[in-house]
Amino acid sequence: MEVVVEMLDIDSLIASIDMGDTPLVILGLYMVMLFSFGVIAYLRSNSSEEDFYLAGRSQGVLVTALTIMATMFSSAAMLGIPGLIYRDGLPFVFFALNLPLSGAAIYVIGSRVWRLGQKRGYMTPADLIADYYGGSSLLRCLIALTGVLYVIPYIVMQIKAGGYLAQRMFPDTETITLFGGNLAIFEVGVMVLSIMTMLYVLIGGMRSVAWTDVAQGFLILSGMIIAGLATVMALGGPRSFFQEVSALPSEALSLPGASGSWSPWKLMTICMFASLATMIQPGQWIRYYSARSTETLKRSALIFAILLPSCFLFGVMLVAIGARVIYPPVIESGVMLPHLAIGTQSDEFDQVVIALLQEHIPLLLGPAVGVVIVSIILVAIMAASMSTADSNLHALSAVLTRDIYNKFLRPKASEREKTWFGRAVIIVATLLALWLVMQGESNPDFEPLALIAQLMFVAMAFSCQLLPLAIDALFIRKGTQTGAICGIIAGVGTVFLFTPFPALIFGDGSFSSLAQLTSTLSGLFDIGFCGFLVNIIVFALVSLFTSAPSTDAVAAFESDMNAP
Amino acid sequence: MDPSPNVIELKRKSRLVRILGAAFLFALIMGPGPGLYLINEYAKSGGSIFGLPALYAWCLFWFGIEVAIVLIAAKTLWK
Repeated sequence: MEVVVEMLDIDSLIASIDMGDTPLVILGLYMVMLFSFGVIAYLRSNSSEEDFYLAGRSQGVLVTALTIMATMFSSAAMLGIPGLIYRDGLPFVFFALNLPLSGAAIYVIGSRVWRLGQKRGYMTPADLIADYYGGSSLLRCLIALTGVLYVIPYIVMQIKAGGYLAQRMFPDTETITLFGGNLAIFEVGVMVLSIMTMLYVLIGGMRSVAWTDVAQGFLILSGMIIAGLATVMALGGPRSFFQEVSALPSEALSLPGASGSWSPWKLMTICMFASLATMIQPGQWIRYYSARSTETLKRSALIFAILLPSCFLFGVMLVAIGARVIYPPVIESGVMLPHLAIGTQSDEFDQVVIALLQEHIPLLLGPAVGVVIVSIILVAIMAASMSTADSNLHALSAVLTRDIYNKFLRPKASEREKTWFGRAVIIVATLLALWLVMQGESNPDFEPLALIAQLMFVAMAFSCQLLPLAIDALFIRKGTQTGAICGIIAGVGTVFLFTPFPALIFGDGSFSSLAQLTSTLSGLFDIGFCGFLVNIIVFALVSLFTSAPSTDAVAAFESDMNAP
Repeated sequence: MDPSPNVIELKRKSRLVRILGAAFLFALIMGPGPGLYLINEYAKSGGSIFGLPALYAWCLFWFGIEVAIVLIAAKTLWK
């Protein structure tokens, strides 16, 4: 390919590009901005639980739209998803079609959640759902569990991403001396990301999380678009870009993609179920309560449904497709590996955006401006990690405080005590995640981190198990408490079968046929959909034979939900 | 007795919800779903639509349909 030859010719020019101290300066400015937001949010807050978790239920359109977007997209937006497109080709661009559905869910689900929150003072998903089904403690715990199973892997993995980003931002720095000891640059990145995130969540609660999400959301969205534009220009403009892409090998232009992973059924179930699962996870649910009005949610839904998929389809996804032209993956001993310019291991496909832009933006825009833009994009990737980590830390704190501590351990706790317990949860969760990541880095065989990484793949599937209950409580109102409990247990249990846990607990032998079945199913469908199907069948069947919530309670619930 | 304007409005809304819901489901089936089989062979042969690779153009088209449905819903139903 002409372009590749051209790129090889300019290798020496690429090697001469020095990032210097620019990333450090931009990172420093970014950190100062985050900390300032935390302090200002603290000055505007009061000590009530509602203020700490929901910012007084007063967030406007800009804040609501951007905090929902920033929470939804972790580092996956700039690393994982482009990595999959670089590896497999065009089939995975269809992932973007889940976003208009997610946008619609912000209003369709969010407006009902908001009205009930206003009338009844709800703050977490379990507040609403457990209350509808008669206030069952077991159901409340199960809902909290699905939330925790979603949130924890996300926190740990986002913190870990901070280490990798530090390595990319400062490639010439291996260690930094701090307090007399030498710390690897990975460890410094992990510590900076986690401690800074913890600080501003602790100080300002929801208000500070949402404000920083606004800044981070702007950074992520503009980073996605700039990255896309730069790649199209690197290949000679739109016409030449798409001509080059059309000449890619057929496996990159059609289903099931170069790795054979993407059937239409799998793509469709991901678009339907992963999107809804993401929109009902605790972090997003809390954002529906925090909005100022249903009009706010409506406008946020429209911004989300149009803007975010556009940033993917016309931005960062084009980077990955362009990278396939410039740096085609290679096959070695039957294993697909990224091009040497991207990485050397099969798990380094997700470095594609960073590697491509670090080399080509300075060439396009000149070293001075180029290095600044690359640094901003790298900070945008860090922002994507932080915005997900902060929202999940905050949501974990809300779930454990409201659904466990306040409900079972200290029912008479004061508002002040509850917010301080929530802050303690944030500190403990951050330090635990930090410790896990550090242990995992120093010892590759460290099991807990490997298991959490596995859970990350099914986190959305766990969250999806709340969907039948949410749909029933908000729209259908035919299910029963026992049905809901049995359904969620069956759904979460089914998703667990797709993780390595059954084999770890019961040994490989007893589960070989099950492993085969789950591997076949996960190749065909989204895992969340498999759990959802079992969940909904059990929920419906058990509901047929058990008693429904009282008619009066359902009528009162319905009336509060439909109140103007 | 003629139904009241409120009842007529509710019926109209309920019909619109069903139509838009069905249209969105259709877009999901045709876009990322089995509808892809209609275009996949053409995409495999390196075919293009308006100068774009076939699969990418297909994705943009169904994205446009999904957005149009969301906009209609916002204008007519989300009050």
